[in-house]
Amino acid sequence: MASVKMRKIRKTYDNSVEVIKGVDLEVKDGEFMVFVGPSGCGKSTMMRMIAGLEEISDGELHIGERLANDLPPVDRKVAMVFQSYALYPHMTVAENMGFGLKLAGTPKAEVKEIVGKAAEILRISHLLERRPKALSGGQRQRVAIGRAIVRKPGVFLFDEPLSNLDAGLRVQMRVELTKLHKELGSTMIYVTHDQTEAMTMGDRIAVFNQGVVEQVGPPMELYRDPVNTFVAEFLGAPKMNLLPAKWAKQGNGAMLEVGGCKIPWNGDGAGPIEAVRDDLLLGIRPEHIDVLSDASETGTIGAKLEVVERLGDTVLLYVKIAGLDSHVAVKLPEDGNQWSRGAVVGLRPREKAALLFARSGQRVN
Amino acid sequence: MHKALKTSEPYRIMTSNPALTSGASAPSIPSSAKRKGRLTPWFFAAPGLTLLLLFLVLPFLLALVLSFTDQRLVTNEEIGTHFVGLRNYIRLFDDDSFWAALRNNFFFVVIVTPIQSALALLLALLVNQKLAGARIFRTIYFMPVATTMAVVAVVWSLLYAPDQGVINRLVGVLSFGMVGPQDWLRNPTLVMPAVMLLSIWQGVGFQMLVFLAGLQSIPLDLYEAAKLDGATARQQFLYVTLPMLKNTTIFVLITTTIYAFQLFTQVQIIANSGTPAPVDSFRTMVMLMVQEGFSNGKIGYASAISVVFFLIVLAISLVQRLLLKEERAV
Amino acid sequence: MSAVPFQPSLGRSKMIARVLQYALHIALVLFFLFPLVFMFVSAFKGDELQLLKDMGSMMAFVPHGDVSGKNFASVFSSSSFRQAFFNSTFTVSITVILGILVNSMLAYALARFRFRGRTLILTAIIALIIIPFEAIAVPLLMLVNELPWFSGTRGWLDSYQVQIIPFVAHAFSIYLFYQFFIALPKDLEEAAMMDGASRLRIYWSIVMPLSKPVIATVAVLQFLSRWGDLLWPVMVVRGDNYATLPLAMQTFFGQYPRHWGEVMAFAAMATLPTLSLFIVFQRWFVRSAISSGVKG
Repeated sequence: MASVKMRKIRKTYDNSVEVIKGVDLEVKDGEFMVFVGPSGCGKSTMMRMIAGLEEISDGELHIGERLANDLPPVDRKVAMVFQSYALYPHMTVAENMGFGLKLAGTPKAEVKEIVGKAAEILRISHLLERRPKALSGGQRQRVAIGRAIVRKPGVFLFDEPLSNLDAGLRVQMRVELTKLHKELGSTMIYVTHDQTEAMTMGDRIAVFNQGVVEQVGPPMELYRDPVNTFVAEFLGAPKMNLLPAKWAKQGNGAMLEVGGCKIPWNGDGAGPIEAVRDDLLLGIRPEHIDVLSDASETGTIGAKLEVVERLGDTVLLYVKIAGLDSHVAVKLPEDGNQWSRGAVVGLRPREKAALLFARSGQRVN
Repeated sequence: MHKALKTSEPYRIMTSNPALTSGASAPSIPSSAKRKGRLTPWFFAAPGLTLLLLFLVLPFLLALVLSFTDQRLVTNEEIGTHFVGLRNYIRLFDDDSFWAALRNNFFFVVIVTPIQSALALLLALLVNQKLAGARIFRTIYFMPVATTMAVVAVVWSLLYAPDQGVINRLVGVLSFGMVGPQDWLRNPTLVMPAVMLLSIWQGVGFQMLVFLAGLQSIPLDLYEAAKLDGATARQQFLYVTLPMLKNTTIFVLITTTIYAFQLFTQVQIIANSGTPAPVDSFRTMVMLMVQEGFSNGKIGYASAISVVFFLIVLAISLVQRLLLKEERAV
Repeated sequence: MSAVPFQPSLGRSKMIARVLQYALHIALVLFFLFPLVFMFVSAFKGDELQLLKDMGSMMAFVPHGDVSGKNFASVFSSSSFRQAFFNSTFTVSITVILGILVNSMLAYALARFRFRGRTLILTAIIALIIIPFEAIAVPLLMLVNELPWFSGTRGWLDSYQVQIIPFVAHAFSIYLFYQFFIALPKDLEEAAMMDGASRLRIYWSIVMPLSKPVIATVAVLQFLSRWGDLLWPVMVVRGDNYATLPLAMQTFFGQYPRHWGEVMAFAAMATLPTLSLFIVFQRWFVRSAISSGVKG
């Protein structure tokens, strides 16, 4: 068990491109931390620095209580599961799992016992004598995890481990990994670009973007209370709708002007909102919009229904607001309604769930 | 080093004693590890680099230097070795044997390169057909490549025997008796053609495989697209196969040409068989070089031949680069 | 699948094409096999006069008359064949094994480390590929003539090392290894690093076992060129002690009176090992030829 502390960590390559621009983050002992972000955001580089596969240009990395900046990978007590699994194709499953122990000079009998136990946990005991080539994707995945387990690491590192599996298996392995975390109680750091994995697996999520951590917190906190549009849009599918809006005082309260319609806004009006009052973005998740068949009702935004996607349990509506380029997505429970394309509807954002952002992306409410 | 650290379970010790970690021991490990890390690549590279420098780069530079001296294989203390400027090259220019050797090489190139390449392409096309036994045919055509050239030359010199020799009989039958028996290895005009035939026989299988690789790398959907466009088999060959084989063909032509300039073993064996044909009728550049440098001990002069030989090969390689405009990944 | 009316004529022209192809194949098979068949058959002909007389007819390819292993026996017992066979096997196999190690290690350094001079070395090695051995043979002869050896002697002429050491490092082999290594996924090596493997251990236990195809390619190319080489032995070897098969073949062939039956037996015995190696490891031979072509 170990915590991982990152202090002002930077990574600059020879060609002076900075890919990590000062990351401050602490992964607590026993925590399941997910690094999530689009490709090229630096999440994998950060993980590889923790693993010791990339040099740290600046800052401090503590694993447990130890300064780990210059420790060779093996001395960091971390184990990594690679995206490609990285199983040695010329070794059997047992040899793959026991390779690290063998290198460390562990007696053969002991290696066998440790490998056997790990294999039992992962239910791959019957595969021990096979070569990776003879295994299915899911089995290879387990072997890769098994190889990490046998080293009894303080920290597990997962580098997009599920992205090579097909959809059904991915869901299954997601559940199993979460269970494994509960069983082992180890610190785990999990890199993914998949927001579903991030939401479902992490105790906490760190959202990476262009070499910095935008926000860290428990999944639902980030979902409900993102600090900027990047985090807001990255989590949740379909993405959060961002609509250009203007804020104005109205009597005691205030109102927002969106797509030529005025909707009431009772949220706090002071300070940040006022500073950018004419240049706001209204962030509203698809499931937080009510759709009224009567577009003329006050406090609604008139829109034209363009695409209807029925997913069985839910319906996705893509509607167009006059004067706006992109569609607005709305998610509704399937209720048997026959939505017809071209119909004019009224959208009513649920005010409590609505967020306001400045054009720069920062949250203002 | 790793082992010692691991057996002492450093992690646990250090978690319980953080002061010790960050203060004293931790920094000392990385600095030594870093120094070791810088040396590691050189550990891997050193044996190869040393050998390359000693046995390839150094002799190459020596060839350039020695070609301007009168260096001899067995150095005479009294006379010593002198810088002679361009004398070796000027002599080379006046040396009839050198021109004869150059002519022999060019003759070989002009005949063998096109014939061998065309035959290789034909063989590749044939074994690439979906035909029962194609693999066996491929094996047979490649078999001469797996034999040793010295052996091939010896066997063929018996096949080339005058009068009732196998080749003579074969030529007689194939020409319906129009061509009488020849003394292939003694007749100065026939000895090079005889060398060419056995060289093609031995070498063509290799180029066949190169062409075959080229053929098999052509995506099948190109042919399917051509078929949909109404191309006949002949048109498919002309408009799909040949253009797609362009780089392979250039490669084969160039390597065959270079190989032709390296011609040595065959003619050396024939020279050694005691043929009375004048040596200039079949001696090649490499053979001349060996005789001048080794048999006559004239290292300086032989080095000049080496340099000329290298310049020819270099020129051919440059032509190849130019034709292929290849971008090598460095 | 295609239109039905087309089928019959298509079938017939296909048949004709097929017959033509087979006819061509048969002619080619005859062309490529007759010298080999002639060699093996002649080697078994104990009667020299009959061997020469047969050459004027198809009997040249038929073992008949005094068919025996007499020629083989006398080549084996009376000549330098055994010594040459050992010399060839010894020098070539040591060269190939050392070559695989040395060249792959250098290539590994170039492919997996960033160090000062890396680009320069790589560029130089690629440039060195075009220097043919023939261009450096003469100065190399001078060089090895001056080199010291562990025994305290000077000059490597007439030795094994002179036929091995200069050929171990090989620019094209390094290039082939380099190409292969940079295409290998790094994950495996990183996983090994996480497992606590040293660089040497990674090279030996991970990279080399994964490099069997390129090892085979390099081994075959080196084997073919070294096994058949006559130029270097002609220059550095005198007498039978260190002569390899091609040189021994030349010497045996140049002896008078020439006994053709024995010459052919010698030739057959010199050919058989490489030929059978080829038949057994055909796949690797083919792959070598192909990769030498693709890479250029």
